[in-house]
Amino acid sequence: MSGVEGGPNYSVEVEGLRVQFGDFIAVKDISFNVNAGEIFGFLGANGAGKTTTIRVLCGLLEPNLGDVRVMGLNPKQGLDAIKSRVGYMSQRFTLYDDLTVDENLSFAASLRKLTREKFSRRKKDLLEFIGFERPLNTLVKNLPGGLKQQVSLCAATLHDPDIVFLDEPTAGVTPTYRARFWSLIRSMAASGKTVFVTTHYMDEAEQCDRIALMRDGSLIALDSPGGLKRSTFPEPIYEISSSREKLDEFWFESIKKRPEILKIQPHGLRYHAQLSKGVVEGQLRELVSSGCVVRVIPPSLEDVFIRLVEGGLP
Amino acid sequence: MNLKRVLSIAQKEVYHIVRDPFTLAMALGLPLILVTIFGLAIEFNMKEIGISVYDGDKSVASRSLLRAFSSSDYFHLNHTDRLPEAISILDHEQSKAALLIEPGFEKNLGSEKTAQAQILIDGADNSTVGVILGYLSGVQNQFGRNVGQTLSGSTAPFRTRYLFNPELNSRWFTVPGLIVIVVAILSILLTALTIAREWENGSMELLLSTPVRPIEIVIGKLLPYSLLGVGSVVFVYGLARVAFGVPFVGSHWFYGLSVLLFISAYLAQGLLISVVTRNQQLSMQLALISGLLPSVLLSGFVFPIENMPRFFHYLTSIFPAKWFMIISRSLFLKGSEPHELIKPFVALVVLNVVLMGVATKLFKKDVEP
Repeated sequence: MSGVEGGPNYSVEVEGLRVQFGDFIAVKDISFNVNAGEIFGFLGANGAGKTTTIRVLCGLLEPNLGDVRVMGLNPKQGLDAIKSRVGYMSQRFTLYDDLTVDENLSFAASLRKLTREKFSRRKKDLLEFIGFERPLNTLVKNLPGGLKQQVSLCAATLHDPDIVFLDEPTAGVTPTYRARFWSLIRSMAASGKTVFVTTHYMDEAEQCDRIALMRDGSLIALDSPGGLKRSTFPEPIYEISSSREKLDEFWFESIKKRPEILKIQPHGLRYHAQLSKGVVEGQLRELVSSGCVVRVIPPSLEDVFIRLVEGGLP
Repeated sequence: MNLKRVLSIAQKEVYHIVRDPFTLAMALGLPLILVTIFGLAIEFNMKEIGISVYDGDKSVASRSLLRAFSSSDYFHLNHTDRLPEAISILDHEQSKAALLIEPGFEKNLGSEKTAQAQILIDGADNSTVGVILGYLSGVQNQFGRNVGQTLSGSTAPFRTRYLFNPELNSRWFTVPGLIVIVVAILSILLTALTIAREWENGSMELLLSTPVRPIEIVIGKLLPYSLLGVGSVVFVYGLARVAFGVPFVGSHWFYGLSVLLFISAYLAQGLLISVVTRNQQLSMQLALISGLLPSVLLSGFVFPIENMPRFFHYLTSIFPAKWFMIISRSLFLKGSEPHELIKPFVALVVLNVVLMGVATKLFKKDVEP
């Protein structure tokens, strides 16, 4: 693991990064650090600047402004050193469909100039790691999407990088494969690799050590999932549900207008509400009919993001 | 540059080619289909041109004239008894020309008067007019010899001999030119598609996130297609020589060198297209418009450039196809010496430098952060 000498151990250091395409500023002067060995979640809507930032960190794009260090190395001093310590799984493309698993892996190995011995050792280890049991001469297009992503993870980590950038690795994958993929991510992090991952799934974000949230090219929050919840929702969230009567659209519209309610949002058949300043739980119970169950719940990350993205900074 | 990486990119490309029915069909089937169509089906030579005949004289001289026509393989005579009938056959496009011999043809021939026979040619069919006219002079000479005199002094005793292709065999002319078309399709189209595909599906980004050099990607991807191009040239060359009996009288090494130059110019053009479009569909269209169409229409393959308006003389010069067409035909049929082909050769070199320079520059600008 490398880092700033004598200082904290960072895998990625970003200071005042700006990326501009013509008049459009895709990334607006963001700064953050990624600790060595952590799972760093990078979240935000499509077009928020996540992929652009990753492309800078992988040496695919030159920033207009700012300073970037990956594993303590500055891209300006040569990209090859960085590229050899970084693994990248892109969102758009992972493996060649018309090549077999083996052909894809050995192609990736040859681009990285791995020796024959190292390649066969890494291949064996990684395929064991993901529990791959199909024949190696299976064409990638015949693999299920979730398995393809796992093989792609192998291809991205064949050269044993210190940090892996995973850009939406589980998009469009079944829940079973998603869970499996995240257990792989956790074991990689446990073995000392830094994992930098973007996702749209909140249950996945919950598993990150820290989360950075991007909106319109700016970094609007950066903390652990628990820290984000505490800082975004200092006041309690109430869940309102009813087994007896239907809390319909009409009910929702009428309660929304009450001055006691700061914010209320449907979550499936239930509602999550926050109260205006000075309003206590008892007043909420009086507002809703007696058939309703009201209880305090911890905010979900989804609540956090809805508030952060829609409501601006807390 | 690392040779091993170049080769593994080339190897990956070979997998793509072998597993994609479209590419494979293009690479193997197309040369065969083109050679078959142009070599066998399209016949620019004319034989058995139908001529309706009205012989109003029915004399020894008129029969001798008719014999001069029928003794060549070029004409097929269709005798009629009445003048309107001969013309009506021409009108109804059942013949390409009508030969009308006036009564008194023989008598006039013997006297000082001018003996007249009239030929009407269907001018609507442009392509046959020239051919018929060309054959006519031969027939006229033949007739002159038949009647034992040169025709009334005014007819110049020309004897035409066609050099390099004595029978004016159109296959000899077409098949060497086909190499241009085949290379245009294989090099420009397939190259443009394969590199545009890496852009389009995002794999180019993944390739570039490894320490691989852009130049290694380009060379690795172009390598299989250049071999494919060379293979197709050898294939068409073999067919031309063996199946169509086209002679090759020039220098083979000079030809080989020109083929390589021509292929690399087209590969560079394909690369340029893919860099500009980054999209397979657009690449395909641009490759067809800027590569295939000029190769067919503006290279001299079908239409002689000398007959085009002045503007096209200059325009066609920017297409490698024009220059290679000159080299190909000259070497196959004329056996020109390399120093006679210095102009087209230098033009190919210049186009290579320009196309490769622009393509490399744009490509580098695109991928290097």
